[in-house]
Amino acid sequence: MKHLKAINNKAQLLSQAVADDSVEEVVAMSSLAGCTATTDPGWEIDAFGGVTSLCQPMEADLYGCADPCWWPAQVPDMMNTYPDWNKDAMNSKDDWRNLGTVFPQDKN
Amino acid sequence: MDNKQLTSLMPVAALILGVLLPGSVLAKEPALEKEHEYMVVANYPNNIHVIDLQTDQLYKSCELPDAFGPGVTQIAPDGKTAYILNNHYEDIYGVNLDNCEVTFHASMSLQKGERTKSIFSFAISADGNELYAVQNPTMLYRDHYRVQPPRLAVYDTGAGLNAKPIRTFPSPRQVTVMQTGDDGTLYMAGADIYKVDVNTGKVDVAIPSRNWQRPLYAPPDVLNAWPIQSPSKDFTILYTTAKFQDESYNLETADWIYGFMNVNLETGETETTDFGPLTEIYFTGIRSPKDPNLVYGVLNRLAKYDIKKKELVQAAELDHSYYCIAINHDGSKIYLGGTFNDVAIYNADSMEKLGNIQLPGGDMAISTSQIFIR
Repeated sequence: MKHLKAINNKAQLLSQAVADDSVEEVVAMSSLAGCTATTDPGWEIDAFGGVTSLCQPMEADLYGCADPCWWPAQVPDMMNTYPDWNKDAMNSKDDWRNLGTVFPQDKN
Repeated sequence: MDNKQLTSLMPVAALILGVLLPGSVLAKEPALEKEHEYMVVANYPNNIHVIDLQTDQLYKSCELPDAFGPGVTQIAPDGKTAYILNNHYEDIYGVNLDNCEVTFHASMSLQKGERTKSIFSFAISADGNELYAVQNPTMLYRDHYRVQPPRLAVYDTGAGLNAKPIRTFPSPRQVTVMQTGDDGTLYMAGADIYKVDVNTGKVDVAIPSRNWQRPLYAPPDVLNAWPIQSPSKDFTILYTTAKFQDESYNLETADWIYGFMNVNLETGETETTDFGPLTEIYFTGIRSPKDPNLVYGVLNRLAKYDIKKKELVQAAELDHSYYCIAINHDGSKIYLGGTFNDVAIYNADSMEKLGNIQLPGGDMAISTSQIFIR
């Protein structure tokens, strides 16, 4: 951090965490924490590098991933940001055509 | 919206939902029969269903207030009230299964400007008098959000529709599923399996998980999202891990292993036990109430393992993935729930499929199904 200077709140908090020697509180996830940008296998590829342990069909896993904000990059976050994403698709296997992609809204 | 408004809107919401659910049973009556075995499941748009396990037929359905998700359920010890975490992880409701009346409601957020989620993390005391929830609050300020320390909140289950905590304590972070022991101890699964005194808030480690010290073992990988109340009174958490051949810690030659951490909720006895090679993924597992040497796991297949021999005994192919496993009290039938809107039934001995129960409404998604005796 010698050559970088914190200029916004987030960066200052990061600098403070380093100063307090509390960075170690952030640890790799070995159990579910919710709404985190997890990188564990499971959506595009399974734990074995294949696809047989992915959910079958993928729609079976859709709301189980959207409800808890498990993979917010792959599936809309229904926990906070898009709670009504599936309002026209209560049955994912039958109604999946009613699901759309989502985009962040411009702030007014 | 205050609770008075909420309650007054319930009949309207029920009416609207009733119209929107073509073909739905949505029968609030009759009351459950004593000594009878039932299964409870929850699904979209916002229902809780009771299945009669003597006939394997849908018995009744209750509509719930607010929004669905995640639909984690816990059944009170008297088999009368089902508690459900819903409204996008923000509210816990108690539903009288005899008449579908909502008798308990607690908002996880305790002050203005706070948004609080409970990540699958609530449990009912063994006497049914208290409800425990680990709450993860975030303060929503105008220009930024600030994550607050998690807390363990204790509720009186008789507190009605505007329940407030009667005690709160600091809680470890990343706590998910929880169960209570017969002696009143609260067990919470997080980085480790914690043992909590609900009167003092004192937290001890019952089973080390992330911090286990097993020679030549890698740290475990754990998925905790389904707090299953098992007939054998076991709190069972599956893990996967690697066991190295020697201190070279060579992943290429390591054995990949499935196992479970277990708390016997009657005795408080704990164990960490490997039960077989890691060849496929299971989201939930359950021990047989008939034969404690058997454990079942499910995701894309339903599998049965001999724990002592550490080997797969038998596996059944499934029509689709199921997240959540349940077993009846005599250990003869396995019921698979979660994901879509059908419950699949399997013979626990032969692993043959016995049938499906179609539910009115939509996906069960990540909800927890429970089997209980009224």
